[in-house]
Amino acid sequence: MKSAFNFLRPAGDGPRIQELKKIGLFKQLSTRELREVDELLHERVYQKDEIIFDEGDIGLGLFMVVTGRVKLSSSHAPLQQLAPEFGSGDFFGEMALFDDAPRSARVTAVETAQVVALFRREFFSLMERNRSIGTKILLELARTVCRRSRLLLSGQKHLPLV
Amino acid sequence: MSKEPQVSATTWLVSISATCCLLLVFRRVLWLVVPGLSALVVYYCMKPLVRRLIRAGLKPRAAAQAVAGLLFLATVLAVILLFSRAHVSEWKATVGRYVQGGLEFLQTTEEILAQKLPLLRGSAILRNPPKDLDTISQNFAEKYLGAFLLQTLQWLPSLLLMPYLTYFLLQDGNRFKKQLVRSVPNAFFEKALLLFDRIDISLQGFFVGLMKLTFLDTVCLALGLWLFGISSPLVLGLVAAVLAWVPYVGSLAGCVIVVLVAATDFPTRPGITYGCVLLFFGVRILDDFFFLPNTIGRSLHIHPVLSVLMLFLGAELAGPTGLVLVLPVLGVVTVATETLGQILTDRCLRERYRLAKQLNARAALSVK
Repeated sequence: MKSAFNFLRPAGDGPRIQELKKIGLFKQLSTRELREVDELLHERVYQKDEIIFDEGDIGLGLFMVVTGRVKLSSSHAPLQQLAPEFGSGDFFGEMALFDDAPRSARVTAVETAQVVALFRREFFSLMERNRSIGTKILLELARTVCRRSRLLLSGQKHLPLV
Repeated sequence: MSKEPQVSATTWLVSISATCCLLLVFRRVLWLVVPGLSALVVYYCMKPLVRRLIRAGLKPRAAAQAVAGLLFLATVLAVILLFSRAHVSEWKATVGRYVQGGLEFLQTTEEILAQKLPLLRGSAILRNPPKDLDTISQNFAEKYLGAFLLQTLQWLPSLLLMPYLTYFLLQDGNRFKKQLVRSVPNAFFEKALLLFDRIDISLQGFFVGLMKLTFLDTVCLALGLWLFGISSPLVLGLVAAVLAWVPYVGSLAGCVIVVLVAATDFPTRPGITYGCVLLFFGVRILDDFFFLPNTIGRSLHIHPVLSVLMLFLGAELAGPTGLVLVLPVLGVVTVATETLGQILTDRCLRERYRLAKQLNARAALSVK
């Protein structure tokens, strides 16, 4: 039987929060903060070979892979050579968070993939509402950019910025 | 923000037709449209306050509850004050007094004109001046005040819905948007987000701009009327600024009210009434050339000629409500039609949608 004081008990980590915890961008966020971010995320499921976004599309936000794998293809030579795949916990399309430039690559699902999208305007509203969460996400994003740049300079295999 | 694309003639045609249909529907469910629209206005105006409360440490639900609670209390208090402190007989007397003041002002003006311009001496009103201004003004109050009060009473339950709807918009607006976006196919997902975003920006620009404009109008008019020594300058300024929400016609109605009050307050000094009219026109010019571009601005992107034509159409289709609603509805419908047009005419998107449908069908078959 449910206790009358159930509402005082903090809600446990549901499967959804567990999934979000695995995403690199949200590594620093607490369960409470993840719940707030979850309000803004749009969940989509893509079938194998389905296009998530195309080269030249105007990007509006970034995508994060929850389950499954997606691959990147592009007419740009450096991206063609890399031909990377993004798996569970990776994110892509991050450049659209900062400007209106067209997407530099096409992203297609390699297998059935569950992704979540964070829309630029909603991210900015989150930054206004809860600076702590916004800073943690931006810091993680900056760290990832640094890591990928270092790998690029050292000539090692890395995931590109798209 | 991205550059606004040029709107094609087809988009305008579809938008105007859709706006007319919506106005006809709105006319049927006016009891719901008025509180809904008021809730939308309050939602956009209160959103920054809710955000501030959340930033100050309140949970989103608590912040929405606090703001909606205050709003409900304010509405109830306003209604109680309106109906408890004034008696219908008092209102009747007041309206009669102001109508009489206005008629006397008209007569004085015509006499002055006749003195200055002898040509006007033979005009009808001077030849047959109204014998009994008291009776005329009393008849006016009898005829219109009762109907107005009854209409107000009829709207009360509907207006009390406003804080309730605002609460749900503040608390669940984002969740509702998410549910709507979820129903959109993957291929159109980003475009759908763009559509919602643009509608949100259009509405926010319009409503918040309208509130700022009302505030500026009220302050300017109240200050001017106070300098002229007119009674209740703040209330008069606010009433005139709110009436200005109805484009063109509302401004004229506001001016008439100000003239009636000025003429009644200073029956022997018509110069003050003329001064009030000049003040009103001065504020309107300030409005059109300075306040309006800085508040509502070009948020709706509607050509002035089309605006005027749509106002006539709105009035014809849905009466005074149509006059108030036609421009924001046209603005939103145009944004929606434009974005939907982009989605439907984008060959790549349609191709992607077709492919996704095939892939989904194949996946469903393999599961079976």
